Amino acid sequence: MRELLMILRKEFIHIWRDRITLLLVLALPIVLVLFFGFTISTEIKNAKISVLDLSNDSKSKILLNKIAASNYFQIVSYPNSESEIDFDFKNKNIKLAIIIPSNFENKLEVEKKATIQVISDVSDINVASVLNSYFRVIINDFLNENYVTNSEAATFEVITQMLYNPEMKSVYMFVPGIIALIMIIVTALMTSITLAREKETGSMRMLLITPVKKVYIIIGKIIPYMLLSFICTLLIIIISVWVFNMPVEGNLAFLLFLCFVFMLTSASFGMIISALVRTQLDAMMVTMMGLFLPTVLLSGFLFPLDNMPQLFQALAHFFPAKWFIIAIKDVMIKGSGFMEIWKYLLILFIMACILITISLIRIDKKE
Amino acid sequence: MKAIEIENLNKIYNNRVQALSDVSFYVSEGEVFGLVGPDGGGKSTIFNILATLLLPTSGQASVLSRDVVNDAKIIRQLIGYLPGVFSLYPDLTVEENLIFFATMYKSRIKDNLPLIRPIWKQLVPFKDRRAGKLSGGMKQKLALCCALIHKPALLLLDEPTTGVDPVSRAEFWDILTNIQKQGITVLVSTPYMDEATRCDRIALIQEGKIIKIDTPTNIMEAYRGFLYTIKVENVFSVMEKLKEFDFPCNYYPYGQELHIAFYEAPEIVLQKFCSFLREQNIKFEELSPIQPTIEDCFIELVKLK
Repeated sequence: MRELLMILRKEFIHIWRDRITLLLVLALPIVLVLFFGFTISTEIKNAKISVLDLSNDSKSKILLNKIAASNYFQIVSYPNSESEIDFDFKNKNIKLAIIIPSNFENKLEVEKKATIQVISDVSDINVASVLNSYFRVIINDFLNENYVTNSEAATFEVITQMLYNPEMKSVYMFVPGIIALIMIIVTALMTSITLAREKETGSMRMLLITPVKKVYIIIGKIIPYMLLSFICTLLIIIISVWVFNMPVEGNLAFLLFLCFVFMLTSASFGMIISALVRTQLDAMMVTMMGLFLPTVLLSGFLFPLDNMPQLFQALAHFFPAKWFIIAIKDVMIKGSGFMEIWKYLLILFIMACILITISLIRIDKKE
Repeated sequence: MKAIEIENLNKIYNNRVQALSDVSFYVSEGEVFGLVGPDGGGKSTIFNILATLLLPTSGQASVLSRDVVNDAKIIRQLIGYLPGVFSLYPDLTVEENLIFFATMYKSRIKDNLPLIRPIWKQLVPFKDRRAGKLSGGMKQKLALCCALIHKPALLLLDEPTTGVDPVSRAEFWDILTNIQKQGITVLVSTPYMDEATRCDRIALIQEGKIIKIDTPTNIMEAYRGFLYTIKVENVFSVMEKLKEFDFPCNYYPYGQELHIAFYEAPEIVLQKFCSFLREQNIKFEELSPIQPTIEDCFIELVKLK
């Protein structure tokens, strides 16, 4: 036991004396969250739109006011004909045009059915689909506010109901992804680099010929970086809650437990990578290409997995980030507990067990 | 009893490179045994096998009567190993390194202080300095302290004086003599031939083969040639011209001088040699017989093989 404490102490000294790396590791999560939060955003504000109101009655006015009052749309013109709409698309850079039919109020109240035509600029698919969704939300609200007391209104078509993230705030999407990325960087990358460094400088050989248990060497390597990664995770959660109003619906302790399991998995990936390479540089390259890139591309964090070819969807199963991101989204946004996500926890845990076992066997392997 | 016994040891890396071929030797308890030879000769491979860090391809090796393959765990507690490259933690201080390795061996500094005191005394002024910032000689002294901290029965020192200045090298060998007096067997390798004379016995090793094992005195006495040293201005151009001198001899640069050994009728060949030098217009300052060093013996053994 004294040996394990000594290895831990040594590892903390390494971390503490390498100030630049320590600062980078602590600054990275802050920078990433703020960067993603303020810049890379799928959320759209003040999109320019045109409205052709053919009925011009009280209900259409209410609807237009509602649209104008939202932060999402800015009505820049009121064309008089459909051909003018075309002009607006080309010259006023509008993203959406709305045509309200004539006799709107009458149609709503008598025929109980009205069709609003929405024309979108789909040159940017993401923007178009997001704006469409916003618009549906507004229509929904409009119907609820104006006809909910009216029993006949129950017959209105409800278009879409958006759950959990009704405003489609992008912060909900990327915070789990950033947590995964940071943990990969801090635990997997740092563990693999420091282990490879010990191999490279020969201190690993010195350690191996001492009678100290191999398990201690591995635990002593993992714990400090898991702790560092834990601090980073807390930083990310604090910033996303304070600055971006990210909800934490689930139990915070359970959320941290989930993070802990993922850290263990990524640390074990780091161990196995360092067991396969000889130098720090190799360790870094392999971790970046083999673990970091798949985490960015194949975890569903930036690019939806459902749109990928089957091969890539299958490949994604082997990387821990995919499972972690599904689980952490459920916990943070839906408030899921153990019963809902135990499957993902188990997958992560099994991955960690297999990899740590292999590392333990490999660490003492002689040529 | 034998501290190390090696029989017909072979090591082939990646099925291609033969690092050791049929190496056999033993080291008696309490001996300082030297492995002497140029880089790439297989010295480090022998150390790695004895330190149980590498498996032999074939052959037997035992350390303190225990097999290096099957009893690796026991051997590791009994030996102290100083690898060829500095392998301590450069960002830990001198004292932190020592405490760290003491703890890894389940030992405490104060338990074995008498053994390391002479070396530790020199390190104390630097004990709060990071190990990476020490001079080459100090680094090796610290590494030696760490290797001795659990009072091993056998010390394996792989080129401990490489990259160390001559004064520190001499100091280091004084320390080794001291360690030997404490009853610790030492296996040491060196590329410096002059250090070989400080060993009880040496093995000359080249290209994975052992050329000769004996005491340094015996090896020097067994030298068969008649050795002369000659001071010339440009050693290499003279060597070029000497190719035309067709009496059996063996010449090679030795520092700033040229060593030349004659094997038959030295007086007659020497006269021929002098007239050859005059014919070739080679200016030389000094031509005198000398006692062979271990290096001369090594070169002779390699050439005659």
